[in-house]
Amino acid sequence: MRANLIDKYKDDVISFSKSKSEPDWYQKVRLDSLAKADELSLPKYEKINYRSWRLDRPGKIDADVEIGADNKPQALNYIYQAGDKTISTNLEKDLSDKGVILTDIFSAMNDYPELMQKYFMTKVTKTTDNKLTALNAAFLNSGVFLYVPKGVRITKSIQAMFIQDNSVERDFVHHVLIVAEEDSDVTYLENLVSKGTGHKNKANIVVEVIAADNSRVHFSALDELSKDTTTYLNRRGCTGNNARLDWAIGFMNDGDVIGDFGTDLLGEGSHTEAKVVAITTGDQVQGIDTKVTNYGKHTIGHILQHGVILQKSTLTFNGVGHIVKGARGSDAQQESRVLMLSRKARGDANPILLIDENDVTAGHAASVGRVNEDQMYYLMSRGIDEKTAQRLVIRGFLSSVISEIPEKDVRTSLTQMIERKLVNGQQ
Amino acid sequence: MSTLDIKDLHVSVTDDENGEGQEILKGVNLSMSTGEIHAIMGPNGTGKSTLSQAIMGNSAYKVTQGDILLDGKSILELPVDERARLGLFLAMQYPAEIPGVTNVEFMRAAINARRDEDKQIPVMDFIKKLEEKQNILDMTDEMSERYLNEGFSGGEKKRNEILQLLMIEPKFAILDEIDSGLDIDALKVVSRGVNSMRGDNFGSLIITHYQRLLNYIVPDQVHVMMDGRIVKSGGPELAKKLEDEGYAGLRDDLHLDVKLTDEI
Repeated sequence: MRANLIDKYKDDVISFSKSKSEPDWYQKVRLDSLAKADELSLPKYEKINYRSWRLDRPGKIDADVEIGADNKPQALNYIYQAGDKTISTNLEKDLSDKGVILTDIFSAMNDYPELMQKYFMTKVTKTTDNKLTALNAAFLNSGVFLYVPKGVRITKSIQAMFIQDNSVERDFVHHVLIVAEEDSDVTYLENLVSKGTGHKNKANIVVEVIAADNSRVHFSALDELSKDTTTYLNRRGCTGNNARLDWAIGFMNDGDVIGDFGTDLLGEGSHTEAKVVAITTGDQVQGIDTKVTNYGKHTIGHILQHGVILQKSTLTFNGVGHIVKGARGSDAQQESRVLMLSRKARGDANPILLIDENDVTAGHAASVGRVNEDQMYYLMSRGIDEKTAQRLVIRGFLSSVISEIPEKDVRTSLTQMIERKLVNGQQ
Repeated sequence: MSTLDIKDLHVSVTDDENGEGQEILKGVNLSMSTGEIHAIMGPNGTGKSTLSQAIMGNSAYKVTQGDILLDGKSILELPVDERARLGLFLAMQYPAEIPGVTNVEFMRAAINARRDEDKQIPVMDFIKKLEEKQNILDMTDEMSERYLNEGFSGGEKKRNEILQLLMIEPKFAILDEIDSGLDIDALKVVSRGVNSMRGDNFGSLIITHYQRLLNYIVPDQVHVMMDGRIVKSGGPELAKKLEDEGYAGLRDDLHLDVKLTDEI
């Protein structure tokens, strides 16, 4: 029998915690989570089987990460991290004067313990949700805290760049906590990029977004983890009354990844739009489970997932819309579509609607299909070759998320990323 | 000078319901050269659009007999994109909408598809050319920045087809009912665009129901199609005669045993 996680890793966790000068309360969170992880099971997702990935076997968490070429975001307000190191960060003085916080997760534990203890894995994702969320808290080795106080509306976007390094053996256990207090407004973009080769690593990433009453949070992500990185990527949020939380996620990883996304619509009249685009190539497997639960009355939850599958890869979209009893006047809609470009590819789009209240509207559309022949013919009739035409049609198919990204240069980089992935996949 | 020759062309389409092939073109012969404008007229359901799709290479239309030659060489085995790069262009009756790809981007890709990797059109040259062609068609930059045909009105789509024609400058352009759904002002604009292409290096095959378009784009030759064949050819006066007498009149003159689709 395998040794308990707690027995096996307790000393490592304590020594890592000390190396980061963590406060006692967080060291306790780590050890409690580690103990709980032994009892918890892996999260289960319909039609996604990832047991063999061994995401529940922690690797090394402490190793020196090389700081490579400067990749800092082209933005006024940003944070740039490689592994556990924060390389640079900037926040306009006006914003910090108003109480906005943008800092690495370890500084946040020491500098803002009340906020962290109030919000860290207490409102959205809990350490007790499943084995992987427990391991995230226990082995945490990088992350960011973004706090927007009551009434503060940030007009420019806040951007984050996170580098995960495969030139060393080291798990990437990352946590982003975003708290938008009442009446606040924030647009956040993050870019997850792998660099280096030579080691196969695991990543366990949890992002929590708390959108309080009347707040608005727009969250965009470009995910580019390499084929050597096997990942659990959990991004979830919750909303207060009349809050709005929107997601635009470009899932462009090259490795095996589980994406667990969604929003708990807690407050009355709150609204979420969750949009995900994904491309899978080679023999990678990506499974995405996007779940929106309507708890509050008159809440609106929309899910849109579009994906393209090339070569021998596998892509599964689950869309889960759950309206609980009492959430009267709520709306749950979802659309999941998958384009298959190869006979050896595997794809699935599963709509799941769970409706426990009568006075609601709900709907779903799901399809697995091939590239639209009329569009191909039209483009090719202008002299554009088949592969280029295919990429143009696919880009159109993925445009629902591209056009959702608020910054032009980030939109451009997503378009280039899509182009690169498709060109590789077409070979 | 380039030539386009259609020889004894027979084309079938597969019926969606029973899967059987149905012969639409039953032996079409047509020869044209650059410098010439030909018009094909005919009643509904007679095979005009089938002819245009078969020339362009739409795989839904199967050539069962005969040949299509561009500059003396058969193009039957070539896929649609190669035919386009050799100089064929089809302005479609129902252009596809492609979200996420702007008009400008698409036209640059189409122009560059005809050029070598290291001789792509310089951005300034492209913009200058685009402005010049947009002006001919009374079009604005706003339209070119929009996604390809997405949300375009019927008239805007037709205008956009002609803009592509002017940008790509093919040897032969087939215009498939480019006049349908256009009001008189739009018809004049579209005609102005096509006429601006006229010259020794450009030929066009204009497919239309109505003579009206041919008042603005005066053809060198007019062909009348019925039941999958060209039944009469002549000069521009043939179009006027049809307008006066109708297709049924011509059919009866020629003693053809053809049922017209829209005949009561």
